[in-house]
Amino acid sequence: MRTKLFVLLMLVSIVLSACGGAQPAEPAAPEAPAEEPAAPAEEPAAEEPAEEPAAEAVTLKIYLLDYTPDTIAWLNEEINPAFEAAHPGVTVEITEGSWSGWDTTFSGFFAAGEGPDIINLGSEMNTLYGESLADMDAYLGEGAWDEISNFGPALENAKYQGKLRGLPIFTAPRYVFCRTDKMEAAGWSTGTPQNFGEWVDFAGQATTIDDATNSLSQQALVPVDAGSMADWQWWLLVYYSLGGELYKADGSPNFDSAEALATTQFMLDMRQATYGSALDAVGALPAGQGSVIDVNDETGVDNGAVCLAHSGWAAPPFDRPIWESVSIDPFYGDPDNFPNSKPVVLAFNDWLAVADYSSNKELAAEWLKVAFSKEANHKWNETMGLIPSRNDAQYGYVTESPQLQREAELAAEYGVGFAGIEEAAKLSTIMQDALGKLITEELSPEEVVAKIQSEYSDALGK
Amino acid sequence: MRENPYLYALVTAVAAIIFIVLSSYGVGLLARFFAKLTGATRRKQENTFAGYLFASPWIVGFLIFVIVPMGFSLYWSFTDYRVISNQPANWVGFDNYTQLILKDSGFRASIINTLYLTAIGLPLQMAVALFLAVMLSQNMRGERIFRMAFYLPVILGFNTAVLLAWRLMLNTGTGIINQMIRAAIQAFPPLGYVNRAIIFAQELASAFFLGLSNGKFTLLTKVWEAGFPAANRVPLWVQSPLWSKMSVVLLMIWGCGAMMLIFLAGLKNIPKELHEAAEVDGANSWKRFWKISFPLLTPYIFYNLIVGMINALQIFEPIYVLYRDNQPLIPSAMSMVYYLWQASFSHFEIGYGSAISWVIFIIILIVTVIQFKMQDRWVHYDLY
Repeated sequence: MRTKLFVLLMLVSIVLSACGGAQPAEPAAPEAPAEEPAAPAEEPAAEEPAEEPAAEAVTLKIYLLDYTPDTIAWLNEEINPAFEAAHPGVTVEITEGSWSGWDTTFSGFFAAGEGPDIINLGSEMNTLYGESLADMDAYLGEGAWDEISNFGPALENAKYQGKLRGLPIFTAPRYVFCRTDKMEAAGWSTGTPQNFGEWVDFAGQATTIDDATNSLSQQALVPVDAGSMADWQWWLLVYYSLGGELYKADGSPNFDSAEALATTQFMLDMRQATYGSALDAVGALPAGQGSVIDVNDETGVDNGAVCLAHSGWAAPPFDRPIWESVSIDPFYGDPDNFPNSKPVVLAFNDWLAVADYSSNKELAAEWLKVAFSKEANHKWNETMGLIPSRNDAQYGYVTESPQLQREAELAAEYGVGFAGIEEAAKLSTIMQDALGKLITEELSPEEVVAKIQSEYSDALGK
Repeated sequence: MRENPYLYALVTAVAAIIFIVLSSYGVGLLARFFAKLTGATRRKQENTFAGYLFASPWIVGFLIFVIVPMGFSLYWSFTDYRVISNQPANWVGFDNYTQLILKDSGFRASIINTLYLTAIGLPLQMAVALFLAVMLSQNMRGERIFRMAFYLPVILGFNTAVLLAWRLMLNTGTGIINQMIRAAIQAFPPLGYVNRAIIFAQELASAFFLGLSNGKFTLLTKVWEAGFPAANRVPLWVQSPLWSKMSVVLLMIWGCGAMMLIFLAGLKNIPKELHEAAEVDGANSWKRFWKISFPLLTPYIFYNLIVGMINALQIFEPIYVLYRDNQPLIPSAMSMVYYLWQASFSHFEIGYGSAISWVIFIIILIVTVIQFKMQDRWVHYDLY
């Protein structure tokens, strides 16, 4: 008996000592409310807290993906303290994640029904996660928050089944940035190509190959994924520019349309005009420093792209001298062959959504109101040089920078949202598979669109 | 009343400790009961109790963190459970398995890609590991430094810096790998033919495997008809679907340090007398390697083959690291486990993903059992 008792005591002591290090730290005493909380201007929530002061400590958890250190510092030093001061007993905790592997992390949250109250999502994810996101209309809808009317079209990306699930942070459309000096040097004097035929001619004319390495030394157009030139997001941008619709009236996919075939043929033509045929393809551009349309300061050599079809963050910083010879345009489609063509900038945006499993939905809404006030939305985007999602926050650095001003104008005029895609993850997989076979010329454009149509129809159960 | 997260964490921790203690005590009692049933002495019973009591935290952990999840996974594999749907899992019987085995062309492609990595990548990985081990066993100067250098990739793994380094090294134009190939050809032009022959053979093999994946051999026919590559052709690492799997093989070879250490240990265990006797009999080093070292290394080769094959069949990280930002190349390199990850964590189909994981488990089990059954034919344990 004594042996058993001894063993039991030993076991308890081992387990207790092993767990000792894992004891949670003493909870930080909730900050006493400041006499005059330094809430951001125009913040109704801070003036009239919607809830009674919390009796116990609550942690509002926010999960952000790949924001700049400046943004995080600003949130931690200004927004969160102001919010905590207005909500005694509440602590805001920001966790930083990365777009690499976010899906694995998020599926863990939703599988466990436990995780951050507010999560960072991308444009197309409203349909992907919609059913697991909270309906925030009662807290952020027009009847509850009059400032919601100040948000631009990006707000649609934060909805699922017509209900608000969160708020958009910024609009990051994809433009066509072109080096006018390099165009002229290549003998191209008519500016950014206006139709498919011009693009293919331009690709042949402005692309150069270094014979010594049998690789590109200059690439006429670098779209998303420069190597393959066949990324699904780039395909969608081109498709939308032809007036293509993803779905037919009955909800079935529309990849068997003439626009889809023309888009796929354009992908192949551009790829071949740049890299040559699949079995005799040349190597890709060398990896450079900074934007592909910029110049390497150390070597003075161009990074190799003449045009870049990408978001603003892939373009050079606004203070770079190269901007003197960079034009910004939408992608014009192919009006000669498709009368419904329209100039398009494909608008992506990050948004913050409230998870349905969150037990702090009201508090999450209050935090969103603080972080998405006019001034806060402006400041948040200023730390990243992006266009605020709120129309009334587009002042100061937005209007002072000619590039950003031009981008904002194009976004307002030609912006098409990258949202409303059913089963976006599956469509991405299906399209990448088919487009991968297009660039090896394993499948013809006709076979590619037929494959996408068939597989995506299956995925949607149509 | 709002929940206090710190109190919640504390209560959970205390509850976990109580659970561990009670479950350990229970396992100990159960073990003693069985000892008593088998007629063990009282002292033996007490010792059995104590032994199991101390081992139980790990036994219970194994049950909770391995066996129970496996049980859930098995159950989910028969359901349509989808994490983000907010719907309960519905029992669908063998639907997931029939879909997977009979209809899913993506899974079939992933099996064939994995087969390529196992059939081509693993032998290359083992050959390089053995070559390095033989070199290091020659008692050369700086052996420790080389040993550390060759093992370093195992420690580094596939982090962001490594990814960046490999992307730069594999750049077709300015990457160091193609630069070295070009430099070698310039220094010794006949190597150009070897390079082109390797490119041709590799692209043929890759096109063949891609054809197997798709059920169409259009690409293979095109590669064959295109004939011997032009003189200026270079490997299109991480750029072409024809080279995407070979780029992964390069990463596999780069990470052969663990295998190399096993081979090195095996080589050091071979008695010198055997080599000395063979040398006296006039055997040169080549003959001594194949007639003495290699047969005696077979238990080590067998071990590396088993572990390497399981790793190759489970390969995920190099593909994820190389191609996560280069989406169009993923289908041509996608392994079974990458497909599992995609189904489970990108498409959120946990039920289907669970079925994939069980199929992979069965494939690995069958391959491993076959390997063990066949070892009698070529593994020599005489010395050990």
